[in-house]
Amino acid sequence: MAKTIIDAHNVSKVYNPKTVPVHAVQNVHVHIEEGEFVALVGPSGSGKSTLLNMIGGLDEPTTGNVIIDGVEITSLPENKLIDFRLHNIGFVFQSFNLIPVLTAKENVGFVLQLQNMSKNEREKRVMQLLNEVGLEDKVNSKPGELSGGQQQRVAVARALASKPKIILADEPTANLDSKSAGNLLDIMAKLNKEEKITFLFSTHDMRVIKKARRVITLVDGKIDSDVEQIPT
Amino acid sequence: MLLQIAWRNIWRNKTRSFVVICSIIIGLWAGVFMLAFSWGMYKNNIDDTVFKQLSHIQIHHPSFKVENESKYTITNTNKILQQLKSNSIIASVSARVITTGMITSPTTASGVKIYGINPSMETTQIGLDENVRQGAYFKSGKNNEILIGEKLAKKLKIKVKSKVVLTFTDIESDMVSAAFRVGGLYKSKNISLDEINVYVQQHHLANLLGLEPTESNEIAILLTNEEQLDSIKKYSASLVSKGKAEDWKELSPELGMVIESFNMYTYIITGIILLALTFGIINTMLMSVLERVRELGMLMAIGLNKRKIFFMIMLETLYLTLLGCPIGLLLGWLSINFLGKHGINISMFSEGLASYGFSSIIYPSLDQEKYIIVAVMCFITALLAAVYPAYKALQLNPSEAIRKI
Repeated sequence: MAKTIIDAHNVSKVYNPKTVPVHAVQNVHVHIEEGEFVALVGPSGSGKSTLLNMIGGLDEPTTGNVIIDGVEITSLPENKLIDFRLHNIGFVFQSFNLIPVLTAKENVGFVLQLQNMSKNEREKRVMQLLNEVGLEDKVNSKPGELSGGQQQRVAVARALASKPKIILADEPTANLDSKSAGNLLDIMAKLNKEEKITFLFSTHDMRVIKKARRVITLVDGKIDSDVEQIPT
Repeated sequence: MLLQIAWRNIWRNKTRSFVVICSIIIGLWAGVFMLAFSWGMYKNNIDDTVFKQLSHIQIHHPSFKVENESKYTITNTNKILQQLKSNSIIASVSARVITTGMITSPTTASGVKIYGINPSMETTQIGLDENVRQGAYFKSGKNNEILIGEKLAKKLKIKVKSKVVLTFTDIESDMVSAAFRVGGLYKSKNISLDEINVYVQQHHLANLLGLEPTESNEIAILLTNEEQLDSIKKYSASLVSKGKAEDWKELSPELGMVIESFNMYTYIITGIILLALTFGIINTMLMSVLERVRELGMLMAIGLNKRKIFFMIMLETLYLTLLGCPIGLLLGWLSINFLGKHGINISMFSEGLASYGFSSIIYPSLDQEKYIIVAVMCFITALLAAVYPAYKALQLNPSEAIRKI
């Protein structure tokens, strides 16, 4: 039996509790095992990003708790939580979110530098990751010199840099054309298969949903369905 | 890596960074130059007072300055002068006989301070000959020659070769009157003194006062190196059995006050300039932080802790300030050096300035110590200006920050 990597237990998030309460996520239970490739789907405002943020420790649940690889992150102090994220969770955001003043190589190496990895080791790992995402010829390009798809591939390489157990991606293909989106999904699927990294991504892109092996659907902040499927 | 990111970040908006750096440069240059200009004015005044009036050290009989009577003298003046002259740190010495009295012209009279001088000694001592505007500097060799200020001559309605009478009391407190002929009119940089000080031959005045030729009321000493002021003061005091040696700061306490107030002025002016700059820097950095809310949120999300975010923003502000500071100081130093050699002619205000004892050509100058003070204050400003924008960055919540466009 595979190990549980994400356990969100009875998680709720209420925005503006004192003025006009908005129940973004309500009593959600999510249980994901190591190596899964899960899509979190639902219409806009259904709570996908909020749930993803809470699982990633970027947002604090109003009630409930989140356990990642056996560590209850909801009770961690802020600095420990940042450190936990640095070592255990990789993020890919909707709008690329690279550091604009750094090259592709430096963007990927940034996380490793935060982990105090030696220069030689870092260089090796960065080159390996950029090779994996097919950007070995763009190592010295800054984000402004890369296409949207290339930037998102750099973001994936950065998310992978610290060898995290989980990669959380918030609508990673939302701003990509279909060719770039296809490329990115292939890379993510390959990494999931070969390196056993757990992927959880929010999306309403059918191309992405088809690639997932499990699809959790959120509606109005509640889980509407949680089904497994054969990716196509 | 943070050093590198912070450095590159400040060049993301080149125009904005350039404007901030320029404002720091101009602010500092203006501040430093203004200080140097003011100090140049004061220093000129101090130098004039020391080199053209007081000298570095004066020796008097202890009661002379209290009682203001010519009977309180230094004896063996010639021997003391010889001993002082033999010291290599002493540039020149002169002895004077001094009394107060009344000068009378055919039309009016005025109170004066009468200096009995050795004309040749005073040329090196206070450069009195350089100030002569009309007539000559004790050229006739006659005992009754007198040198008076142009302003006094105007007041007395007299000119060169006019006859005046000096009236004063001798050491026995008897009234003495003597006729003198104006040999020359002088104009110094201190017009108020020109109306009071008159100069006659020392031996003649001593004779009229009833003093011995070896007696004098004042010995003035000019040094080659002011750093030796204290040791020469002690040495010269030891040569005079009944004498009190005072340096120029004791003789003219207001000059000491000028220096002290200038030091205070340095802090106040620099502080005001830097305070204005602080708001400019805070404004720019705050704008820069608020523009990057999303990016900062992303950095926190991927593992950059808040301490490092704070450090990065602080660094950006420091870079901007530390780029501007040295350039501003360098420009200030260059312009002060250049104008310190060539001077700034403000002759259009010369009459007003001269009445306060200031010269019409100002040579800006600033001690190294003042540059260091300004640089340190600039560094502190940079740190203070950096805190608020960095603090604002700390308050960001990563998930909220990422959502912001």
